[in-house]
Amino acid sequence: MDFVFKIAGQAGAGVMITGRMMVKCFTRGGYNVIGYPEYPSLVRGGHNTVQVRVSDAQINSPRRECDLVIALNKDAIFYHMESMAQGGMIIYDQLIDTGRFKLRPDVRMHALPLSKLTLDVGGTEQMKNTAALGAALAAVDYPFEMLETLIREELARKGEEVIKVNISAAKAGYDFVKTNGISFGSQIKPVHPERRPIITGNEAIALGAVRGGMKFYAAYPMTPASSILHYLIDKERQFGIIAKQTEDEIAAINYAIGAAFAGARSMVGTSGGGFALMVEALGLAAMSETPLVVALVQRNGPSTGLPTWTEQGDLRFALHASQGDFPRVILAPGDVQEAFFLTAKAHNLSEKYQIPVLVLSDKFLSETVFSTERFDQSKVIIERGKLVKGPLPALAPMARWKRYAITEDGVSERALPGTPNGMHVATSYEHDETGFSSESFVMRAKQVDKRASKMKKLLKEMEPPDVFGEKENAEVTLLTWGSMKLPALDALALLAKKGVKARLVSFTHVYPLNPRHVKKALRNSGATIMVENNSTAQFAGMLREYAGVKVDFHMLKYDGRQFFAEQIAEETLKLRESGYKGGQRVEVVEKEDMEYYNPQRHGL
Amino acid sequence: MVAIADYNVREKSQWCPGCGNFAIVGALKGALAELQIPQHQAVIVSGIGCSSKLPHYVNTYGFESLHGRGLPVASGIKLANNRLTVIDVGGDGDGYGIGSGHFLHIMRRNYDLTYIVHDNQIYGLTTGQASPTSQIGMKTKTTPHGVVETPFNPLSTAINGGATFVARAFAGDMAHMKEIFRQAISHRGFALVDVFQPCVTFNKLNTYDFFTKRVYKLEEQDPKHDTGNRMLALEKAYEQVKTNYERLPIGVFFKEDRPTYEDTLPQIKDKALVEQPLAGLDISKALDD
Ligand SMILES: Cc1ncc(C[n+]2csc(CCOP(=O)(O)OP(=O)(O)O)c2C)c(N)n1
Repeated sequence: MDFVFKIAGQAGAGVMITGRMMVKCFTRGGYNVIGYPEYPSLVRGGHNTVQVRVSDAQINSPRRECDLVIALNKDAIFYHMESMAQGGMIIYDQLIDTGRFKLRPDVRMHALPLSKLTLDVGGTEQMKNTAALGAALAAVDYPFEMLETLIREELARKGEEVIKVNISAAKAGYDFVKTNGISFGSQIKPVHPERRPIITGNEAIALGAVRGGMKFYAAYPMTPASSILHYLIDKERQFGIIAKQTEDEIAAINYAIGAAFAGARSMVGTSGGGFALMVEALGLAAMSETPLVVALVQRNGPSTGLPTWTEQGDLRFALHASQGDFPRVILAPGDVQEAFFLTAKAHNLSEKYQIPVLVLSDKFLSETVFSTERFDQSKVIIERGKLVKGPLPALAPMARWKRYAITEDGVSERALPGTPNGMHVATSYEHDETGFSSESFVMRAKQVDKRASKMKKLLKEMEPPDVFGEKENAEVTLLTWGSMKLPALDALALLAKKGVKARLVSFTHVYPLNPRHVKKALRNSGATIMVENNSTAQFAGMLREYAGVKVDFHMLKYDGRQFFAEQIAEETLKLRESGYKGGQRVEVVEKEDMEYYNPQRHGL
Repeated sequence: MVAIADYNVREKSQWCPGCGNFAIVGALKGALAELQIPQHQAVIVSGIGCSSKLPHYVNTYGFESLHGRGLPVASGIKLANNRLTVIDVGGDGDGYGIGSGHFLHIMRRNYDLTYIVHDNQIYGLTTGQASPTSQIGMKTKTTPHGVVETPFNPLSTAINGGATFVARAFAGDMAHMKEIFRQAISHRGFALVDVFQPCVTFNKLNTYDFFTKRVYKLEEQDPKHDTGNRMLALEKAYEQVKTNYERLPIGVFFKEDRPTYEDTLPQIKDKALVEQPLAGLDISKALDD
């Protein structure tokens, strides 16, 4: 079973909340569920959608075609008609005049008096989406009790009145569909009810950080990173942490560096534009050897770009940000489990090696909500490295402690303010072993080498890429980094159905790269295809530079959307037909060109 | 017992002979000693500039950060460990120019921080460009025809902006400056001390002589000055403008008792963030939300 709903309506109509409710509702029925939101950068008037994919099999990404669309406004019908699956159904608000639309004969249309249904039970216009949710569940025969229990729990804080009227609205939608004999034809029944969590990439980053010992978070709002800030501020008292909205991103990162210097594990979260403002201080963390984690949630650049869409275009930026040479680590989770565990790991690495560590996500992973297994928290072990505990031996009069002592592995002991006899200065200048700013050529070279030498041990901390599918002799191998693992995994399944012996090599530890790991994963790979959500194949370039590996094809998409599995499979099959010959560059662009930003342009 | 000498370091200060910064370090050490703040319990933060080299010359913990970023670094330190005494120092370019955004917002938050600005009305380290507090008409490398921009008024800005202790000192009067520093550090909340600090190399207008002739102590010449009266404090802050720099009050202009930002955080009421365990926080309840 693999069923796709899409709830669509105007921004502000509650589409996002309804989508999340639906994801939860089916997850509780024992299904694997993905809720994938799309919305333009508009608070009101723009077109919002959530695609909810429900399956009893392992699914990893949204599907291209929808089975059942719940249309809360006319745009919803206009935009999504083309992506309807054969024999699909649209349930829409009766107030919508469908006269002007080119309807598809194979798509069933059912009008619902959503306003009337909600108003009749004492609800408001705002609750139309709740009635619609009830209607959608009825169309696939999902038991109403599942939704009722959920509404009770979700609205528990709002009081009995609110709960009652919401349940009534949902029930009205549900009953209308039932009494009028509207049925999709396929049923979704709860299979093995259990309480699995649902979580977005951003929430997984936030929780991984907290479980990983993060005590301080600072940020300035910026889509698609903002929900980390919202989530942590909402729970800061529960977790005993401080999450702070600062006046700008420059302040955020400098707050975090201060807090980390004082001994609190610290993180900042932002997107490209905000990270641009943080670049100078990233170097401060490096020069002062202050541990710091940066969650960089990518959207499309340059500049303000496409604020609410997705891209993997900031990898080279993260790799090279800030002046001078210094060690850093870039981790790129490919799913919510990895987002949790790698963010926790990032905090360990940043403290053990006293370096900045970047966690790269993107709008697609960070804002999509996934049903998942409970995190095995026992796997998170906190390692603080060479942190001084307790007082240090007395210093000679007027002397300072050697915070930046030259060591074999490049890591020096770190004393926190408050530690007797550990006094030293952290500075953005080059410095000697006590932190005193120094322009000695010899000391300069020594300190550069000391910092750089951390890379040797760090390389051992880097895990090899995960290999899926055909491990021995592949005809073709897809390579991904970060979130493109998700559609690529689903593409692997589609290719297997066509008899293609395909492999997927998914990188999460993207820098530093261990050439041996790369070569091992690519043994007997057949043709290699790098699947990246950017226009210059940034990671393919890194593989060439750091592992000496040249990938045969670059499959690239940079139109605002992530790859769909169907697109990856289709393009791979085309390459297969050509005997894996031809130009290196394979571009994928969405065919249906819907400008969500400005619906008026379509004459709606 | 902590003695002034305990704050000494081996390294010689790298400032020009006669620089006002020497007196500022001396006064700061004196105030720390009077308050008996152990070396390891104090953190002196700075930005970048001649003045920002100060943390190197006081034997406490120090953090010489980036140009204009001392205040956010100091704020982060304070939030992570509110048991520490945190002092931020820097130049007028550092704090009122490139770092002015932080100055405006961090005052509003009223963290328990002391902020000392070495206000020499010029960019020292970069060899003599105009600063936000340079006087109208002053010729500098970047204002060959004289400054035309209205000088930034740190005191009135702070009095209006949420600082709960606003004072001015003169580097030519070390004893008085030390007393102001002592009060500023003891004050619970955000304390600004703007110090007239002659730059003997690049500012030939605002010299020791210039200030000695013009400064007067608020508490001596105006014993009725009420530090709790915001309007009166503002009037004093504008005296330099009204008299075209002829009369320059020094001393405490304004003081207010207001809860600090840290006071509003129950999560650090009993223990500083850094004293709380890192490991073992169970996140499963959050997963069910
Ligand atoms: C981002 C950045 N821009 C410019 C500089 C160069 N710079 C260093 S100190 C300084 C100004 C110094 O003036 P001030 O802050 O008043 O301190 P002073 O040296 O007078 O004590 C400048 C522009 C820098 N270090 N960083």
